Amino acid sequence: MKRKLEMDVNGKRIVLEVEASAMLVDVLRDQLGLTGTKVGCREGECGACTVLVDGMAVNSCLVPALKVRGRRVETIEGLASEGQLHPLQEAFVERGAVQCGYCTPGMIMAAKALLDKNPHPNREETKSGLSGNLCRCTGYSKIIEAVEQVAGFGEVE
Amino acid sequence: MVETKVLGTRWARVDALEKATGKAVFAGDLSMEGMTYAKLLFSDRPHARIVGVDTQDAEALPGVVAVLVAEDVPVNEYGLMENDEPVLCGDKVRSIGDKVALVIADTEKTAEGARDLISVEYKDLPVVSDPREAMTETAPRVHEERESNILVEYHVRKGDVEKALAESDVLVESLYFTPAAEHAYLQPEAGLGYIDRGGGIVVHTAGQWAHDDRRQIAHALDMPEDRIRVIYTPAGGAFGGREDISVQILLALAAWKTGRPVKMVWTREESVRGHHKRHPFYIRCRTGANRVGKLTAVETQLIADAGAYCSSSPAVLANAVLLCTGPYDIPNVKTDGYAVYTNNISSGAMRAFGAPQGLFAAELQMSKLAEKLRMDPLEFRARNVLVEGSTIATQTVVPAGVGVKRTLLELAEISEWQRGAETKLEPPTDLPSHKRWGVGVACGWKNVGYPFGFPEQCTAIAELYGDDEVGRVVIKCGAAEVGQGVITALAQIAAETLGVDPEMIEIMNDDTAVVPNAGSSSASRHVFMSGNAVHLACQEAKSLWDAGKRPAIVTKQYVPPPTSLYDEKTGKGVPNFSYGYGSQAVELEVDLETGEIALKKVYASHDVGKAINPQMIEGQIEGGVVMGQGWVLIEDFIQQEGYLKTKTLADYLVPTVKDAPDEIVSIVVEVEDPLGPFGARGVGEMPLMQLAPAIVDAIHDATGIWFDELPITAEKMLLALKEAAASR
Repeated sequence: MKRKLEMDVNGKRIVLEVEASAMLVDVLRDQLGLTGTKVGCREGECGACTVLVDGMAVNSCLVPALKVRGRRVETIEGLASEGQLHPLQEAFVERGAVQCGYCTPGMIMAAKALLDKNPHPNREETKSGLSGNLCRCTGYSKIIEAVEQVAGFGEVE
Repeated sequence: MVETKVLGTRWARVDALEKATGKAVFAGDLSMEGMTYAKLLFSDRPHARIVGVDTQDAEALPGVVAVLVAEDVPVNEYGLMENDEPVLCGDKVRSIGDKVALVIADTEKTAEGARDLISVEYKDLPVVSDPREAMTETAPRVHEERESNILVEYHVRKGDVEKALAESDVLVESLYFTPAAEHAYLQPEAGLGYIDRGGGIVVHTAGQWAHDDRRQIAHALDMPEDRIRVIYTPAGGAFGGREDISVQILLALAAWKTGRPVKMVWTREESVRGHHKRHPFYIRCRTGANRVGKLTAVETQLIADAGAYCSSSPAVLANAVLLCTGPYDIPNVKTDGYAVYTNNISSGAMRAFGAPQGLFAAELQMSKLAEKLRMDPLEFRARNVLVEGSTIATQTVVPAGVGVKRTLLELAEISEWQRGAETKLEPPTDLPSHKRWGVGVACGWKNVGYPFGFPEQCTAIAELYGDDEVGRVVIKCGAAEVGQGVITALAQIAAETLGVDPEMIEIMNDDTAVVPNAGSSSASRHVFMSGNAVHLACQEAKSLWDAGKRPAIVTKQYVPPPTSLYDEKTGKGVPNFSYGYGSQAVELEVDLETGEIALKKVYASHDVGKAINPQMIEGQIEGGVVMGQGWVLIEDFIQQEGYLKTKTLADYLVPTVKDAPDEIVSIVVEVEDPLGPFGARGVGEMPLMQLAPAIVDAIHDATGIWFDELPITAEKMLLALKEAAASR
């Protein structure tokens, strides 16, 4: 049965009808066309579907869409503002932290949640913040470098 | 050396921005007006005769458009090297990765519901899941029309191994096992198929070789290739796992049968079940050396589990048979290799393609011999490595540009290698008493480009547009972007050759209707093969442009020197035209209480010929090392009697950021490949080929225990420590 869902997505108020059983990731991808958020496992193992709900990183494949009623959802599409990339996006590009790119949106959202809460994490805190997101290409080194560059630790090349 | 402006720089990947903003469109992101959804029914038996498939209930479900079975496939066979795999199984199933029926419906949910209404009656057959058993005459036959389960065998003979082993001062004999592995790329298989306005069939998907996908679709649908168009989206990782057909033929078939656009997205479970794995290998070795530390002879028997279908088994086995001597000059070699059908999920291509298996045996033999000789394992390797002019097991000289020694020497210098002495590689002073620390080393070699007589080629088109100055450059070359960065490297090579701003270069690589055949994104071959084709096309286009031609358009095919398959009896031949070499040293800690092995630091020294983009090379090294680490210490792919036990990423664990080493030091060595573009050779696979034996060498250094089998999980380490303590 369809239910009404009202939420804030990337700063815009959205009202739509969703299946009661729909997961947030499917509403974002299929109903709102926000396909930047990826699906990798549908069981919260890979983190490719990571979005922020009220600033917290969540696996959107595990969150029923109706749970985010009235809440603030941020996806990768909302990160750049007025043509200006978010510093994390810039750093990921510069540092070579992107290979196949499938984990990238989720990884960047997880990094944003981390830095919003803790702008200068140490190495262990950075790893903890990203430990729910798998990357099979990069070996994580350049991802850590990119996050630390934004946190003000890394040198800009 | 050529003066370089963009070549050799850390130029940012051309596709990074769209991927970092979520704008990159992957196959699962596609949709179309009037689209339907397909769902597969997999076999739930590892070996059984199909008595009947009842699709009536499924077809009756509202919203179902069609249910396709074996009879619906015009030519029901496909395969990369041999057409031994049915598109949909009709008479029997040979593994739980087999596909039996395809449902097409208005929604994915309906397709799934209808799939579950199909009933298949099976008559079970005896299952054979161990290739050693499958080789015997009495074993159940996986393909009944064949004389035996042995799919292919190779034999190599050089010198007199028996005599040389008998005369050796030291001898090491071991039996090794290397396990299967799941690619676990982040993006599960997906695609969209439809009929275009001209009546042709279009398939959008992610793979490694669009032109070969097209060939296989055309064969199964019994259509000319020009009726089929394959368009690639960026691949969310591949690592060899997208070399074989997954959704391609099914989507083409479904679109053709229904006339509707059809989308199919595999779940993670379907992905793990539906595509091939790394070949498990059993390898028996006897290796001899003399007192002064020179190798005398090696005898190797390799048995590879090919699984249910051929896939690329003959090529993987051929590689392992060659590479299992290690990158060493050995006067006497005897190698026998077999790839054997079983009822496991097919084995096929996975990053480094037979090299990690062959090198696991070769390099551990080296470490064990060094121990017996009381020599430093790095020094022992340096005395035996291939050099310019060395003759390999096939009795032919290794191609010019042999960089293995340089990788080893630079590794020794930068890591300040010296086991057990005051060096950078020294135990941490704060190491708790329940931990042991060790260092290890290993070397490796692997072919660049398709070997063993394959008609290797790559074609590229360079188009220069403008009036006085070149204003626009279009490069057309069907090299699949699977995350490795090929389109960036090709743009750098084109910019360098033409002397233009790389931002001006448009690479078109993804549509068989537009771009020429570049061969596969595998065998670490594109920088070398497509790099050469793009370089040649750009050179000639520039000459035409300079002579006043507008636009200047040139098509060039690059064909490397010919190679040949092993001679049937002696194994003589020219296996390859280029190799990549590497040496790695690792530092790790073993927790004696928990068995956990923490990989602390990896020095990875790789000969890339010429670094086209050092940042992307580091990316390949770091990624390859962590993937290799997973295979050795974390991942554990389990199939029992043909049934899959590790079905999801919750069962099959891959390394997270917390598992990855604290530091990976990339050492980029440049020994020019005389055939490579600007001297470049490939590096995509090489960083994981020798990590396993380096880790095992370090575990031995830390604990005195040799492991001859992978993976070495904490449980296995703990058990081995207990056994060692008990026998002390």
